Amino acid sequence: MTYHQATYDEPLLSEIHSDNRYKVPDADENLMALIPEEIRSAGAKLPEIAEYDVVRHFTRLSQMNYGVDLGIYPLGSCTMKFNPKFADRIASMEEFSETHPLIGDQNIQGSLKIMYDLQRYLSELSDMDAVSLQPLAGAQGEYTGILIIRKYLESIGELEKRKEIIIPDSAHGTNPASAAMAGFDVVEIPSSSDGTVDLEALKSAISDRTAAFMITNPNTLGLFEKRITEIAEIVHGSGALLYYDGANFNAIMGITSPGLMGFDVVHFNLHKTFATPHGGGGPGSGPVGVKKFLSEFLPVPVVEKADDGRYFLNYDLRNTIGKVAPYYGAFSTILRAWAYITYHGYDGLTENTVRAVLNTNYLVKRLQNDFKIPFGTLKKHELVLTTENTGKRALDMAKFLIDLGIHAPTVYFPLNVHEDMMIEPTETVSRRDLDVFADALISASKQDDESLKSHPVNLSVGRIDEVKAARQLKLHW
Amino acid sequence: MEIEDSPLLKEIGFHTTDELFDDIPMKVRKKELRIPRGISEFELIGLSRELASMNRSFRHNFLGNGIYDRIIPSSVDSIIGRSEFLTSYTPYQAEMSQGMLQSLFEFQSIISDLTGMDVTNSSMYDGFTALGEAARMAYRINEGTEILVPETMYRSKFNVLRSYLTGLNVRIETYRISPVDGSIDLDSLSNKLKSTTAAIIAEQPNSLGNIDGNVARISEIKGNALLITYYDPISLGVLKPPGEIGSDINVMEGQQLGLHRNLGGPLLGILSFRNEYARKSPGRIIGESNDTHGKRAFVMTLQTREQHIRRAKAMSNICTNQALFAVAATAYLGIIGPTGLRKVALKTMENSQKLIKSISGSGVLKRELKGLPFSDVLLKYNGAGNLQEKLAEKGIAGGISLDELAHNTYEELKGNVFLSVTEKTGSESIQALAKELEVME
Repeated sequence: MTYHQATYDEPLLSEIHSDNRYKVPDADENLMALIPEEIRSAGAKLPEIAEYDVVRHFTRLSQMNYGVDLGIYPLGSCTMKFNPKFADRIASMEEFSETHPLIGDQNIQGSLKIMYDLQRYLSELSDMDAVSLQPLAGAQGEYTGILIIRKYLESIGELEKRKEIIIPDSAHGTNPASAAMAGFDVVEIPSSSDGTVDLEALKSAISDRTAAFMITNPNTLGLFEKRITEIAEIVHGSGALLYYDGANFNAIMGITSPGLMGFDVVHFNLHKTFATPHGGGGPGSGPVGVKKFLSEFLPVPVVEKADDGRYFLNYDLRNTIGKVAPYYGAFSTILRAWAYITYHGYDGLTENTVRAVLNTNYLVKRLQNDFKIPFGTLKKHELVLTTENTGKRALDMAKFLIDLGIHAPTVYFPLNVHEDMMIEPTETVSRRDLDVFADALISASKQDDESLKSHPVNLSVGRIDEVKAARQLKLHW
Repeated sequence: MEIEDSPLLKEIGFHTTDELFDDIPMKVRKKELRIPRGISEFELIGLSRELASMNRSFRHNFLGNGIYDRIIPSSVDSIIGRSEFLTSYTPYQAEMSQGMLQSLFEFQSIISDLTGMDVTNSSMYDGFTALGEAARMAYRINEGTEILVPETMYRSKFNVLRSYLTGLNVRIETYRISPVDGSIDLDSLSNKLKSTTAAIIAEQPNSLGNIDGNVARISEIKGNALLITYYDPISLGVLKPPGEIGSDINVMEGQQLGLHRNLGGPLLGILSFRNEYARKSPGRIIGESNDTHGKRAFVMTLQTREQHIRRAKAMSNICTNQALFAVAATAYLGIIGPTGLRKVALKTMENSQKLIKSISGSGVLKRELKGLPFSDVLLKYNGAGNLQEKLAEKGIAGGISLDELAHNTYEELKGNVFLSVTEKTGSESIQALAKELEVME
């Protein structure tokens, strides 16, 4: 395979000096005198660069970056699927993009209808009763969900007692971080030998001090928790709530749902399951869905429809946790997710799930002779393999892959498998690309150690000294 | 091709796709999905246009108070529309993602220069949540038990801050903004200050819309408390940076730096701080290093503070942030430059002054508050009925009341309203507003 990423010795923006001629309306300099002297600026410290140089600079930088438009991006639990271009087109319609949040409900009926419809669609997909679109990312969705649980426990007088949140050792790092941020103590339980929740460990950890159990299903090993209804009974039986981390929702959408499994609170990742672009690390969007008994705790406002058919922002929820974001959520991301669901419909969404799971299991088949894939062969959206049996390090294999123009899977996560790679192909990859990926991974395992350590050589830089970056902090040009 | 006929299915030895879901118990299977059937792109665009037309656009805009209609160079949209940026994930494979990493390093640097702060992280969700994180950070640093905030802080900002302090042993206390002078009441602030105060939050311009000279005097009286400043980044075209007036942590909303209003989201949170607080800070940080050949290269660093490593002991749960918009802000500042930013800020002030002058003829609105407004001009409203609704009938957007916006307000300011301007506000809009006010009662 021939691949070479564009390579420029691109200077920093501060190292480019050209004549800035960007036109801005002239203003009255005398107004400077009105500003109190102790806070008056002598001039902002910014580089002087011509617009054409700024555009060339960032265009060159973009060519030294990999996106899902360039090929497979199989980061586990990140669900990097193709981002449809129609969504970008709709999001750039000025009636949507040039709207001020305080313009008044009657002037944004189109936007409110879209938000209302997305709330309904997410409710329907998850079998939850009410949804807030306000949280701005998956982690913030978790935080919001935990704040809702907290407020609920407070309302029934149990918050003083229930201070613990139980989390399996295979959970995403955001789960314990969100729980701790909301003031709970985190109790971690080990997974069982089959990679799923250890019911005995759960039973012995759970008590009248437990506020909630947070899990994702399928879990980060790509395994469906078969005993999920039993888990729900154990959790509810002790008076605690069950939280669904929606990062892996792409594995089950349309087939089953958190609501049917017995979950009380769920967050969605619109930038994963609903194909909104991730932008190199955001913006995202992390709506939260809840069962009816928790709906009065949602952040405000939520979008509702009046009897006369008009949509409005309802701030009047009896026990609301308040606000977690300035306005109504990441509207342009919400809009893209609405477009994705509307385009695919019930038929397409379910088929996408099937294709995503089929692709994963095809990769299992292609890789199982060369790598140890623990915990059975039937996976959902992702698989986790270990490179231990090959004697190679997962990190070195990742660098070999990227050198071929193939983005590497997540490495060293989840934490309960050593030297692991977590691979999520998604539904938007052709068989050819799945084969190219599998062949490359197998080929990596057969390289000699010396040559494996030499990668990458075809990218804009070679392997980076991360220890130096942390020890000799340089965070500013 | 029907999925049941997929050759992949045969390859894995399955006959039907149902077998892929054998591990999902029947009793939790979904029986129906009440979502409309999928449609084509052509139909979807048509439907979207129809819904877009249900939104009303206004000829004259005087809405602001945190979200503004500012000049956006076309190049900014073009740059963040590059699909290599738009469709990339968090740069976990650094060697393959130098473009995004260098851009984010430049964002950190350009913002640190603009604000005079030592370190800036690679972005937060928005200004309000970044303020919440800043307050949590202050608590981690000095374990103080109160956060002092201006009494007239916007209610939504106050409520987000309160959410972010849940579970911590921290109370929010308020200090006064003088309803006459329109600036921070330093006596009130001093009186509220204790040895146990974690931080003082001060806004510039303040929540009454004024450029506030007193923000610069807080560092003299703050004692052990940290000073968290909340700056309008455009105001830095004419104001001294927060780093030069003793700010310990600075927060900004970056929407004005090249982002469309988008009904208020997604936005861009900007968080900067002193060097010594870096290890207590939340969020992604990009550091410079080099590759095996000694070539300059960039990576995510200080990751041991973060959730994927530290888990329950992480500084924050944040992972996805607003990377793409950090690139937009960097491109905006690069294109507009120091002279451009100064002109944008000055033109805004010029338009505020024009607005005050042009409405003074009407009896309906009057500027009573002293002090120098920036974008948001607070005015005494003497008319009957809801001003925002009355103006909307005439195709003018604006007139939000302070009572609606502020966490708390003062008797002297009851019924005051905001009209906001930017460098884009045209004379024709100001004239149209003045004309409507003349005939209004």
